Amino acid sequence: MTPLLQVKNVTKKYGGLTANNDISFDVAENEILSVIGPNGAGKSTLFKMIASFTPTTAGEVIYQGERISNLKPHIVARKGVVRTFQETTIFKSMTVHESVVVAQHLRAKASLAGYFWGSKAAQEDVRAFGKYADELLEFLGMSEISSEQASNLPQGSLRALGIAIGLATDPKVLLLDEPFAGMNHDETMNMVKLVRSVRDERGVTVMLVEHDMPAVMNISDRIVVLNFGEKIAEGTPSEIQNNEKVIEAYLGSVDDEIGM
Amino acid sequence: MFGFTSKQLSGVAIFLFAIFIGVPLLIGLTGRWDFYFTLTSVALLAIASAGVWLTFYIGRINIGQGAFALIGAYVSAILVVKVGWSFWISLPAAGLFAALVAVLIGLPILRLRGVYFAMITLVLTQVVTLTALALPITNGAKGISNIPLPSGVSIFGIPLLPDFAGMENTKLAFYYTACILMIITYATLYRLVNSRLGHLCRSMQQNEELASSIGVNISYIRIVIFAISSFFGGIGGAMFGSIAQSVYPSSFQVADSVNFMLNCFLGGLGFVFGPMLGTLVLYFGWDLLFEFGKYQMLIYSTVLILIIRFLPNGLLSIRFGKGGDK
Amino acid sequence: MEQILANGVYLGSQYAMIALGLTLIFALMNVLNFAHGQMYVIGGFVTYTFYGQWGVPFILALVMSCVTLAILGALIERFLFAPVIKGSAREESTMLLAAGIAFFLDAVILLFFGEKQRGVPKIVDGVFNYDFRLIMPYDRILICVLAILSIVAFIGLMQYTKTGRALRALAQDRTAAQLMGVNVDRYSMIGFALGAMLAGLVGGLLVTITGVNLGMGGPTSIKAFMMVMIGGAGVISGAIWGGIILGFMEAIGLALLYQYGDITYLLIFVSLMIFLAIRPQGLMGKPWG
Repeated sequence: MTPLLQVKNVTKKYGGLTANNDISFDVAENEILSVIGPNGAGKSTLFKMIASFTPTTAGEVIYQGERISNLKPHIVARKGVVRTFQETTIFKSMTVHESVVVAQHLRAKASLAGYFWGSKAAQEDVRAFGKYADELLEFLGMSEISSEQASNLPQGSLRALGIAIGLATDPKVLLLDEPFAGMNHDETMNMVKLVRSVRDERGVTVMLVEHDMPAVMNISDRIVVLNFGEKIAEGTPSEIQNNEKVIEAYLGSVDDEIGM
Repeated sequence: MFGFTSKQLSGVAIFLFAIFIGVPLLIGLTGRWDFYFTLTSVALLAIASAGVWLTFYIGRINIGQGAFALIGAYVSAILVVKVGWSFWISLPAAGLFAALVAVLIGLPILRLRGVYFAMITLVLTQVVTLTALALPITNGAKGISNIPLPSGVSIFGIPLLPDFAGMENTKLAFYYTACILMIITYATLYRLVNSRLGHLCRSMQQNEELASSIGVNISYIRIVIFAISSFFGGIGGAMFGSIAQSVYPSSFQVADSVNFMLNCFLGGLGFVFGPMLGTLVLYFGWDLLFEFGKYQMLIYSTVLILIIRFLPNGLLSIRFGKGGDK
Repeated sequence: MEQILANGVYLGSQYAMIALGLTLIFALMNVLNFAHGQMYVIGGFVTYTFYGQWGVPFILALVMSCVTLAILGALIERFLFAPVIKGSAREESTMLLAAGIAFFLDAVILLFFGEKQRGVPKIVDGVFNYDFRLIMPYDRILICVLAILSIVAFIGLMQYTKTGRALRALAQDRTAAQLMGVNVDRYSMIGFALGAMLAGLVGGLLVTITGVNLGMGGPTSIKAFMMVMIGGAGVISGAIWGGIILGFMEAIGLALLYQYGDITYLLIFVSLMIFLAIRPQGLMGKPWG
């Protein structure tokens, strides 16, 4: 069986600096795969290349047999690979509900002109979008803050809003950028549950970049470890926990990143 | 079908009554016939301002609308005077030509954001003026004058539009034409903003990165919006040229571009009808201050500064807007 | 060839000074100062009044231009920009305010000085003539030298004084500067005054060559915007490069294309657009300013 998404020999250089060097791994359908590594290991850069937010210097990303690297973000999103951002990247003056509605525009059946004239299909769409937004927000446990303006939300809800916006586009693969950063234990556990249900109930393959080791160990099917732009290990959580290179990389960097 | 509430509908009705019946009545009673020209100008400038407002809706500050108004005025004048087209066909042609120029210029400059975009659009106004001076077809500094008034249009002998040249009161005819165009413009703008395209624009205004991550083709929408915006500019400019029966390189200058922007900001950027109100207040205010002679500019700019100082979020932010609130 | 080079240096040094003031204000407060050209014109009129009308020595008149604009800039910052920046939901409101101020200054100039073109007596007579290959009046050379000295002095101020360091910190990161104990309000005012002063100084210098009139404000602002775009907004080296490049382009264009009139600016604009399409942040700017 071919994997859903393949990262093939991807390299990224900024001037003389190598952010990612010859990284390869596969993502199977319906798995939760985490990319971890100390600060500056090149995790975020890798995510940006997968979502085509930045071009690769060499190598490519293949999704369902098609190359998705070095395209435009919106084209990759339309193919079903959608990234989320850290909490500051939101639609500030939209409500939670509005944000989720606008993110569904790819599902629209009516044309832009149809919307302009208020055609039947457009009215159908608008109703369907609203209904799906309600449904999605309920699924994510966000019904109560549905009409809050995004800029007024606390950090934890913003993170969830980011995921809601991503999910509203109906993705096959969701790339989550540090979903647990800055959360306390309870919040993290809630988020772990949420991410898992996204995979289990919505059939979305999840890739995430994270610092929080316990959460990653808890949630991931497989883990890819980066250090200084290189892939140093890949495997199940228990394999990673016992991998000497990984322990060395983490002890060699900032100690308190483990178990944060 | 357009999903208006009854309150909105009555607001629109009052507004339409006011401009089509109320204003002519008042002018007839007071004998201030010069107000027709002022109000016609307001309507046309409001059309161009609507375009500036729309570019703001995708998060770009457009100080180049004077350029597109000038382009529209010249295209219409050239088509009428040199090619012999009817004004009514030259009008949409002027809008389309302005939109085409916007697409070509927009491809490189719409990637710029913030002050960069603002600055380059400002420079653009100056450049179109210089182009008009340099090109042979625009007659250089002499411009194009003696543009005939719009001729009548009839289909199968049924007159659709009257011949302006044969009319006694062209002022009223131009006033009605400008008002109708303005209403079409704002109705279009209102629908646009409240349709899917509008929502996508809003998402781009707030965060282009996030918008593209949810699959919005941001560069395409930017071009489409800039083209529509410039279409409005071209239409407004062409109509202006027709009323003045002349167009010069100085017909629309950098100061006009700045004024279009001021109209939008002053009316309030959060409201579709903001630019209309902003244009009315600024242009009418300017006109009323004419009596103060050489102090006109001083008073005008002082009032402007005070408004910005104490109402930095626009006139409609204190909610006295009436007649079609969003 | 020598003539074009000399003209380029002459124009470039003036332009760089105008762009420096604009970019300083932009870097500090994120304000696009539409009134910059008007400030330049006021500087010209002040020198005209003191030197041309009352016979005060030229250098003293220049100092008066600087002082007037510095005070004007400080007042505008303190009583208009600072409160609007605090009270507005949108950053763009400052643009509106700047436009209002530009109109206001135009009105003030109109009331005090009228619409006529004004000139002053030459500061030095005579023409430098090198074998008819390079002809340059002495007053232009003097003005050019003064302009270059001013730029050097400005860079020195920014690099080596406490004020300069505070201004640079403020330009880089407002919040961080505040945390470091920089008095943000005070230095915003000083920076704005300094930017306005530069505009006034160039105005005072150039009145001896080109004279001054009401209509010069807007076009000057536009040129300043172009320079800032070429070099990159908010970057000092960018403003200097932008000024020099525009100065040279104009000198070359006017020399080669003079029979086509205004086509030089058209070409400059088209090249600017192509340049910005490739490099939106300008020569020295950070991406997205």
